[in-house]
Amino acid sequence: MVNVKNKNKSAGDRATDLFISLCLILVIFVSLYPFWHVLMYSLSDSKEAMSGGLFFLPRKFTALSWQLLFKTRQIFVAFGNSLAKTLLGTAINLAVTILTAYPLSLPELRGRRGIQLIIYFTMLFSGGIIPGYILLKNLRMLDTFWVYVIPAALSPYNMFIMRNFFQGIPRSLPESAMLDGANQMQILCRIVLPLSKASVATMVMYYARANWNSYMDGVLYVNSTRLELLQVYLRRLIAAAGAKGALSEAGDLSMAADITEETMKMTVIAASVLPILILYLFLQKYFTKGALMGSVKG
Amino acid sequence: MTGTGRKKNLGRHLKRYWMAYAMLLPGLAYIIIFKYIPMYGVTIAFKDYDGISDIMKAPWVGFENFAKLFSTRAFRRALYNNVIISVAKLLAGFPAPILLALLIDSVQRRGLKKLTQTSVILPSFISWVVVYGLVYAVFSPSTGAVKQLLEVFGFQGKMPDVLASKETFRWVLVFSHVWKNAGSATIVYLAAITGIDTQLYEAAAIDGAGRWRQLWHITLSGIRTTIITLLILRVGEIMYAGFDQVYAMSNDAVISVADIIDTYVYRIGLGQGKFSLATAAGLFQSAIGLVLVLVTNHIAKKVDPDSGII
Repeated sequence: MVNVKNKNKSAGDRATDLFISLCLILVIFVSLYPFWHVLMYSLSDSKEAMSGGLFFLPRKFTALSWQLLFKTRQIFVAFGNSLAKTLLGTAINLAVTILTAYPLSLPELRGRRGIQLIIYFTMLFSGGIIPGYILLKNLRMLDTFWVYVIPAALSPYNMFIMRNFFQGIPRSLPESAMLDGANQMQILCRIVLPLSKASVATMVMYYARANWNSYMDGVLYVNSTRLELLQVYLRRLIAAAGAKGALSEAGDLSMAADITEETMKMTVIAASVLPILILYLFLQKYFTKGALMGSVKG
Repeated sequence: MTGTGRKKNLGRHLKRYWMAYAMLLPGLAYIIIFKYIPMYGVTIAFKDYDGISDIMKAPWVGFENFAKLFSTRAFRRALYNNVIISVAKLLAGFPAPILLALLIDSVQRRGLKKLTQTSVILPSFISWVVVYGLVYAVFSPSTGAVKQLLEVFGFQGKMPDVLASKETFRWVLVFSHVWKNAGSATIVYLAAITGIDTQLYEAAAIDGAGRWRQLWHITLSGIRTTIITLLILRVGEIMYAGFDQVYAMSNDAVISVADIIDTYVYRIGLGQGKFSLATAAGLFQSAIGLVLVLVTNHIAKKVDPDSGII
């Protein structure tokens, strides 16, 4: 809204402004505090932390639970699986998305509308859980790493966002390159992609987030603990009463004696939030920009 | 154009663009294999399939699986829960980001504006498992943050275990949904508000329109198309009450209020091997979802020809 100079404001307007500011401060607190609570709890002495309540700073700082966490083998296995899924999955996502979106952004491509309709329809209707499961079973992908990266290779939604962005690039540049004899792949790699850094970064962000956070693939298609995802492992620990037991089985039991179940859970939660939090802080500006990119209209 | 001319044209077109067509292959292969083959797979909803032998050879049974499904109490319960949870999420979750965007837009301190924007998207970056962990941390009846906060105000009673109580569990689903998802929609609305011509506000101010009238006639009507588009998308999702979320957060104590169609399909299909029955439930869900999108889209286009997603 247009800025009105402060002196022109009535007392009522100023009261409204104050009220809005207070609302926003409350919104910020509600959005951020749970993260802070968990982190501070995990860094507090277990007995002190049992009194509960709000944590603004650790109570009797200790990193004992973090040490115990890092002595557990399975957490590294799970972390490694999730990391591999995120890196390889995002690379595949990006390649397929760009390769599909670019041709569809060319108005002169024949059959473009039909292909778009075929892709768009999959956003409205799906075969469901069981036919998908049977397909993966027939492809012998169950209980393999591939099930994490292939069945979600392309998000039609993201592909259309990318296409909209490519459509916004001035046509004169690729056209003059085409007159110079460049083929479509050269145009894509040398002209279009260098102009699309911000939107490619947004795609990386969207896909990496989805790959790191999705876990139903781990629940539905994978049984072996060797392939367990961090999110699946995490849920097992939070839901089970024996989180500490599960963690300390390989670790040092005497060390575990001073740590409560509760502290251990908070530590695991904090540990799983940190990687995505760091990614967020680095790519945050792209994410806000990305949300501003066009709608998905087909 | 003559026949040969067209052929020549096509030849030239392909010579120029064959690589663009080749680029489409991985994406199209993916869409056909992983999206359209499972769509064909829904035929087992009309068959008696045991999950082991060849689908092609399974005998057709017509709508028998659907009849069986609707006579099952557990499915009717799942359908009811599904609709109740989705509608509550829509009612609470749809207006929240609009309100948030209006609040953020109307605040004049730039620092506060940016900080709020950054904070509200953060929850959309974590998985439902982590949200579950955070709900547990904040609402745990023994050491939760809320408990101690209430004790400061003299509360002495016993805290309910919100994650294990049938009365509260659906509220947990609804509010954690709003907490996690309101932020990203807020950013979309803020982007739409940024697109509104500022001259409209200036003209309105000269005409003597106050803050509230500007809010109603300019800001809200300026983002109307965005609101309708997001509404269509959300209504289409009514049949999907949040598989990830419910799977992550629910437990046996609350299954009677938390079991939705997806968790039901998962349990009877993959758990008990009733593939045909589970597929029928899934197909029912997808089909109603499709109808809902088409109907809302049609209505939206009548109300506002610029809106609609198809």
